[in-house]
Amino acid sequence: MTDTIGITALIPPELIYACGHRPLDVNNVVPESSLSPRSKLCAWTALWRELILTGSLDIDSLVVVAGGDCHNALVDGQKVALSGLPTHYFFYPFDTNLRYLYSQLESLEGFLGGIKDQEMFKYICGLKKKGLALEKQRVNDNARASDVFSALICFSDMQSNPYEFENLIDNIPHTEVEYSSRIALIGVPPIYPDFHKVAEEFGLHIVYDELPYEFIRLGGNDLQGLAKSYKNYSFAGPINNRINFINNELQKRRVDGVIHYTQFACHHTLEDEIFRDYLDYPFLTVQGDLPGPTPEQLKLRLEAFSEMLEIMA
Amino acid sequence: MNIGLDVGSTTAKIVLLDNNEVIRSKVVSSHNWKELLDTGMDEYNIVSTGYFRKKVPHNAAITEITAASLGVRYHIPDAQVIVDIGGQDTKVIDLLNNRFMINDKCSAGTGAFLELAAHYFNIPVESLGRLHSRTQRSAQINNTCGVFAISEMISQLVAGYTMEEVIHGIHEAFAHRIAQMIPPVEQVVLIGGTVLNTGIVDAMEIILGSTVVIPPNPQIVNALGAALYKNKSIPFKNTDILEQNPR
Ligand code: SF4
Repeated sequence: MTDTIGITALIPPELIYACGHRPLDVNNVVPESSLSPRSKLCAWTALWRELILTGSLDIDSLVVVAGGDCHNALVDGQKVALSGLPTHYFFYPFDTNLRYLYSQLESLEGFLGGIKDQEMFKYICGLKKKGLALEKQRVNDNARASDVFSALICFSDMQSNPYEFENLIDNIPHTEVEYSSRIALIGVPPIYPDFHKVAEEFGLHIVYDELPYEFIRLGGNDLQGLAKSYKNYSFAGPINNRINFINNELQKRRVDGVIHYTQFACHHTLEDEIFRDYLDYPFLTVQGDLPGPTPEQLKLRLEAFSEMLEIMA
Repeated sequence: MNIGLDVGSTTAKIVLLDNNEVIRSKVVSSHNWKELLDTGMDEYNIVSTGYFRKKVPHNAAITEITAASLGVRYHIPDAQVIVDIGGQDTKVIDLLNNRFMINDKCSAGTGAFLELAAHYFNIPVESLGRLHSRTQRSAQINNTCGVFAISEMISQLVAGYTMEEVIHGIHEAFAHRIAQMIPPVEQVVLIGGTVLNTGIVDAMEIILGSTVVIPPNPQIVNALGAALYKNKSIPFKNTDILEQNPR
């Protein structure tokens, strides 16, 4: 039987598909939600928790990323577990230990009932190649960042239907983009669904979305391959690895400035100071809380940042 | 001729610039902004800024952050950091590192906090600076939330501190709050409505350990910056990676 497996952060979707199930990234429905959650720190976790507990999100079980994500997700995941939903806890190693990650993937495979369709690994790998091609397209100014972002962010679960999803990514339009500055967006993805469009209105072409890029660059054709690749999942490891990785991407993509999106009550906010010290680029920090259209105060920051970059150029 | 038009939430200002010289400036209340525009003025020459920048005639509209950077650099070419304390928010512009921060989530470091305090004592906000200078002793106010700071003020009055000492304490709490946003530099340029409050200037100098400089005609500095925009003066410097000081 094909079950819908909720995932709270990056879990190799190829493994879930190979086990005959469909992943559903519970975060992907949050930006469209208008619920006012009770007992809230971070809106991402509070909203998916509420959506699951109120039955608005139809999942058969939940995989919580308990190591390598955050404690807000862990606590809200446990609240879901206490409601009786079958829940599995997945831990990324902080020290990129291959053997440890392999054992975690094995135990996840056990929870999912074992691999049934080896071919799915290859199929998903093919999709991710298309994702990388899309990424190249926007870096080369041939696709709008808003279009590419809305596709890349869905690579965490392929919208629970990889075949339809393939159709969607095949139809991202080729568009020559005009802009005033090239931007890297680091941190967790903005909770505002129109963020990339708003940035485009101010002439900011986002050529790097840190987290969605992880979704397409990591993969593998068996457990060993997955372990080798996903051990480099930068959000789960030491910050100096992440800084080196980001710096490399910023150079490759010839960015003019960095925007660090932070979420209210998220520990990643504490990383802001570190990034400001180690990424030598004009730097803007913005913070979001509940989902909705990008607030005016945030738009002012984007506009001012765009003007600043333009004058510098 | 270049025209800078700054229409903010309370006041509107205009600066006419010819050959980089200010030839005229005027300030009115925001809803009377039309009084600033003469019939002969060509919209093509107007660069607007401020909250209503996109609602008034303009050829280009720029944010207050860019306008402040240009306007301050006109008077103080080597300015390092600008602190713009407005009624609703406080902006810190770091010209050395091309970065800026805006506090618009918490009233404690904005003009609204001082208004609240003045309102509690039933005195005009303009008198806060004068009352501050009457004493050297200060009632400590620790709260970082504007509203709770008022309760703390009341407790300090109950504890026997005078109104002047409490005002001293408020200015220090205010400066501490803003100091969190300011990088360590030798000189800070202060603009915005609160520059006339000498209590704030004193408290900032002591808490920051930096010289606080106020440009001439601080009220029109953003309108001046808007007028200068067409000249494309460069307010932001590129920094050398070696100048950075990673921990
Ligand atoms: S934004 Fe931060 S706090 Fe919220 S779920 Fe992500 S990591 Fe956790």
